[in-house]
Amino acid sequence: MWILTLVCLGIGLFIGFQLPISLPAEMVKYASIGVLAALDSVCGGIRAYMEDSFDNTIFLSGFFVNSLLAGGFAYLGDRLGLELYLAAVVVFGVRLFQNLGVIRRYLLKKY
Amino acid sequence: MRNSSGKISIMIVCIIVGIMLSVQFKTSEKYGPSLRTSRMEELALKNSTLLQEKEALSKEVVSLREKMTHIASDSALNADLQEELKKSNIAAGFISVEGPGIIVTLNDSPRAIQPGDDPNSLLVHDEDILFIVNEMKASGAEAICVNDERITAMSEIRCAGTTILVNWNKIAPPFVIKAIGDPQMLESGLLIRGGKLEELKLYGLQTQVERKDKLEIPAFTGALKFQYTSPIQSKKKADS
Repeated sequence: MWILTLVCLGIGLFIGFQLPISLPAEMVKYASIGVLAALDSVCGGIRAYMEDSFDNTIFLSGFFVNSLLAGGFAYLGDRLGLELYLAAVVVFGVRLFQNLGVIRRYLLKKY
Repeated sequence: MRNSSGKISIMIVCIIVGIMLSVQFKTSEKYGPSLRTSRMEELALKNSTLLQEKEALSKEVVSLREKMTHIASDSALNADLQEELKKSNIAAGFISVEGPGIIVTLNDSPRAIQPGDDPNSLLVHDEDILFIVNEMKASGAEAICVNDERITAMSEIRCAGTTILVNWNKIAPPFVIKAIGDPQMLESGLLIRGGKLEELKLYGLQTQVERKDKLEIPAFTGALKFQYTSPIQSKKKADS
């Protein structure tokens, strides 16, 4: 399962590097928060899959909504003069590590 | 069933995340690999402010250049004005001048007064000086002074009791009249036969005419005030 996700990630990276898309400088910050949220969602999804509590709707909605919300928060924070993106970074970062930790334990248990 | 659909969605999401990550990598690399995003924001802001500043400065350069050309033309104007001012000052007697000319010295007659003599005939009068000054002017003198009192357009040479006033200053004999101009011309104008100097000599007054290659004439030192006079506007002058 996790090999499949890694392969898909690699394919995505490959496609992304081939695509002639690049973000404007002002957007980089918000997009990076979005990427962090997306990573978190993916890890959460994998973890849920491994825990057999996976829900497709929750996973997909979480993925998109979290990414957009994180980017939106960062943007709002900038407009308010508040470093709101830090909150997103901390929350998603902590969750990312938790999820990764859980996955690691599952994998260790498995093999 | 759930598992397979979940797998598919995870795969799709993974691909999307991969694309996002790679785009992010590319963008970050494009704007400098070591730049942090917050720093980039700051730098973008700085960049835009610097661009604005640059624009403002280039505008300033243009305006300064314009001003410089104005100043250049102004300084030419200024030089002209200075030249005019110098001429006017010389004409008005506001600055000391030097040049070739003659010195005329007049003094009272050394003869002792005899009974029955008119004492006036032994003295140098204001009229004599006035006459000589006038003669000098007629001979092309450019600057004249009497006992270091510069003769200006409004200078008076007038008898006041026992003394003579020039520029409201008392002067006493010997009267030294200096004039700048063509020495030859000035001298011959004064020594003309039947002229004033001859007449004065006839009276027995001491006269002396001396040519000089170089003599100095001081500036008018009096105060200048125009109580009643004001210039007519140049436009009116042009009309009239």
